[in-house]
Amino acid sequence: MSTALSIEGVEVRFGGVRALDGVSFDVEEGSITGIIGPNGAGKTTLFDCISGFRRPSAGRITFAGVDLTKRAPWERTSLGVGRTFQNARLFRSMAIRDILRTVQHDGMRRSGFFRSVLGLGGARDDEREVARRADEVLELVGLAPHADKPAMELSTGMLRLAELAAVVAVRPRLLLLDEPSSGIAQAETEALAPLLRRLAAYLDATVVIIEHDMPLIMGISDEIVAMASGKLVTKGRPDDVRNHPDVLASYLGKTA
Amino acid sequence: MTDFLSTLPGGLVTGAVYALLAMGLVLIYKATRVPNFAYGAMATLVAFFHYDLVEGRSLSVSLDVLFVHVDWRGDVRLPFWGAVPVSLLFAAGLGLLIERFIIRPFARAPMVVHIIVSLGLALLLSATTQQLFGADDLIVSNERAIFPRTAAFSVGGVNVSWERFGVILLVIALAGAVFAFFRFTATGLAIRAVATERDVASLLGVSARQLSVVSWVGGSVVAGAAGIALASLVVSSNPNLLLLLTVKGFAAAIVGGLTSFPIAVLAGFLIGFGEELVRHYLLPVDRALFQGAPEVLTLGAVIVVLALRPKWIFAGIREDEDSGVTSRGGMADSALARMIDPVEVYRLAKAALPLSSPRWLRAMPAVKIAVVGGIVAFVLLFPLLPLPGFWTLPANLTLIYLLVMLSFVVLVGWLGQISLAQGAFVAVGGAGTAIFANTFDLPFPLPLLGGVLLSIPVSIVVGLPALRLRGLHLAVATLAFGLAAERAIVPRFDIANPVRLPPSLDTDTARYYLFLALTAITMALAWRIQRTRVGRSFFAIRDSETVASAYGIRPVRTKLTGFVVSGAIASLAGTMIAYQLGGVNTQYASVFFSISWLANAVVAGIGAIAGPVIGALMFGLYPELTKSAVQATSISFIPQIVASALLIVVMAVNPEGLASMSRFVRSRATAYDDVADPADVEAIEAVVAATGGVATEVDGGDGRVGDEARDPEVVR
Repeated sequence: MSTALSIEGVEVRFGGVRALDGVSFDVEEGSITGIIGPNGAGKTTLFDCISGFRRPSAGRITFAGVDLTKRAPWERTSLGVGRTFQNARLFRSMAIRDILRTVQHDGMRRSGFFRSVLGLGGARDDEREVARRADEVLELVGLAPHADKPAMELSTGMLRLAELAAVVAVRPRLLLLDEPSSGIAQAETEALAPLLRRLAAYLDATVVIIEHDMPLIMGISDEIVAMASGKLVTKGRPDDVRNHPDVLASYLGKTA
Repeated sequence: MTDFLSTLPGGLVTGAVYALLAMGLVLIYKATRVPNFAYGAMATLVAFFHYDLVEGRSLSVSLDVLFVHVDWRGDVRLPFWGAVPVSLLFAAGLGLLIERFIIRPFARAPMVVHIIVSLGLALLLSATTQQLFGADDLIVSNERAIFPRTAAFSVGGVNVSWERFGVILLVIALAGAVFAFFRFTATGLAIRAVATERDVASLLGVSARQLSVVSWVGGSVVAGAAGIALASLVVSSNPNLLLLLTVKGFAAAIVGGLTSFPIAVLAGFLIGFGEELVRHYLLPVDRALFQGAPEVLTLGAVIVVLALRPKWIFAGIREDEDSGVTSRGGMADSALARMIDPVEVYRLAKAALPLSSPRWLRAMPAVKIAVVGGIVAFVLLFPLLPLPGFWTLPANLTLIYLLVMLSFVVLVGWLGQISLAQGAFVAVGGAGTAIFANTFDLPFPLPLLGGVLLSIPVSIVVGLPALRLRGLHLAVATLAFGLAAERAIVPRFDIANPVRLPPSLDTDTARYYLFLALTAITMALAWRIQRTRVGRSFFAIRDSETVASAYGIRPVRTKLTGFVVSGAIASLAGTMIAYQLGGVNTQYASVFFSISWLANAVVAGIGAIAGPVIGALMFGLYPELTKSAVQATSISFIPQIVASALLIVVMAVNPEGLASMSRFVRSRATAYDDVADPADVEAIEAVVAATGGVATEVDGGDGRVGDEARDPEVVR
């Protein structure tokens, strides 16, 4: 197995606070890596750095040999990076089916402005292909019956599913999921693990998940990265991390 | 030195007025986060009311109910200072009414909705003023001036009148009073608290609603005072003058981040001074060359300040992530909206009519085809109908309006960006066509193409600020641009004669078919945009730039594309005006024109292509026909009053406008009904089964997200 994603000494400062303080780790290709840590550990900030919404003040992020550190968010889609948001954000006024077409924007190489508007050659094929893949992903996550509902009318659980469908429709090589279980019912959380595994297999992608639900994250991850106060605490197999004294300390408070 | 000193009083007075306007805007914005574009219109209404009262007006009241007969007739007339309390009381009442019925229903709406609603209010008040007090200019004669116009003293050989001196003192006194109010009173402190942290303040027991009332009444009184003083100063004021002065007030207020009084007042004085210097030193050099220079100065100041993005400006201003007019996050909650809730009407109709809804729905496609077919046949055969000759001009103008509204649909409805400078694009198209045809003598289709192509660089220039600005900032920047274009550029191209078409096309009927073909092609292209990748990227940017860029959509490129498409459509309307009426008609290039047609486009439906068609029939064909039928004997402002009131109602009931009313009613009616729709339950079970989970309890099918979760601010 080779390294897919590599984080090297990434540092982010908000004023005097170091949200990320020299975090480094590698993620193996095709693996599922879980990131855990208490609130304020810097997990989402790290995701923001990988997906381009925040530029680190120091350090380097590479994926599949390409340096991502200074690229704009929209450039990373074509480099194979896809992410979801902690609060499940989608295009609120659009129906799910339209969202799944919209997110494939970058893949429509034959659809420039004029070809698209005049419906010439490749653009038509692009539109057909995009519609086909949208339907495929809808079936995959089981949202087909809801395809025509606008995102703003969905429950949080449905919205999570729709967001997963959206990010899967882009076919990323690196899938970043920010707390997929937050805000959804227990029964749905239990259904989440098999779904995530199925999506990872469908995409054949490297997956990094931030998650607070311990049974879920421990169950599906090949490796766990534990963070606290902007620093890496430890990285290893789920069982080892679970019993690591520093991890226990960061969750339960240090004992003297 | 004397020369420079002589600009002082003028600069101080102009600056004082801008400072006063800026103060009122800040007062209202601070407490309610509503950018009050109607501010100038409020000032105008109070000023007209006041001078009407001073002038004297005969009133008659007659009541005739059963045995009670009351008949009273009399003249109401007050001396200037006697009328002031009455006028200010009137202003306070106006503020109260506006707060209660127009502002409060939109308390939680997104910024774009606030902007459109307050623009609608501006149109409503301006039309009401003209309906009540006549469309003539208000002329304040010497004996009715606020202070005597005689010289008070002289500075460096320049006389300063009591009037100017008094107004400056008045502004300083008002500024002091407002400042003291915020500094030393509990209410002022509470408003500052709300301005800084709305949610925290309300948790601490500060009533945002009460403060909203206080600040609207206060702001309205300040506006009234400004209006009365200003009308006296400028001697002769047009009902639309103050609407435009609002732009100057906004320029000053926005320099202070819309929250800082001292900076706003200072900026007001600086802009006033700058304009006076320009007027004094540049205009006499070459009046033609430097016309509109003061407006260009305002525009420059706004753009420079916004481009520098100093911290204090952006600290106090809310920038919505969710910028869509059409997304229903902005659904208003008001008694008015509930009363005329189309869902209730639909249900009543359904209960009253013995129609089973499936059959009625099944008949729908046939009805639709019949209606659309009818319209198409009418439109195609229109000139052949035995109608009087005056039908053709209204018809051609209607097509022009349709395109203007379509340009708003692309920009505001689809891309979620606001522009109040569409009139400038109409001007570009018209001027381009006229120049290519008259000066360069190009043969027929080339001037038309040239006019449209010329709009592309202009769109990019106007669109550039949009790359960094959103919502309110963008509205103010484009408003300043539109005003500068209206005053400085458009008059240079005022070409009176229609551009000539080849002889075979140079009849009203031929022009009608030419315009119809151009409009049809444009609509077809817009329809294609809406249904393909380009349109989807617009919608994505409208809904959320962050999410869009996470999925590889480039905000900069997408926004510029939208601005270019919208500008090209508006400039095509301009070329048509050039062929119909002549080069650039100042009326069609004005900021007022842009705002009115934005309002009409919103009422008709800003999200759909059908919107402009409905709008063109309602606000284009119908008024133009009546106008040419009556030969415009007495101008009535009732249509404008109705249209702008309708705008506010539409925003409250269904921000998607009339075009989508039927879909909206059906979707909401089902959303109410299907609490336990079996299809939904099945679907959820399917999801759970597909994901291999346990189908025990999953939350409700129609799954409405809680109110907090809908509000983008709270989520973050």
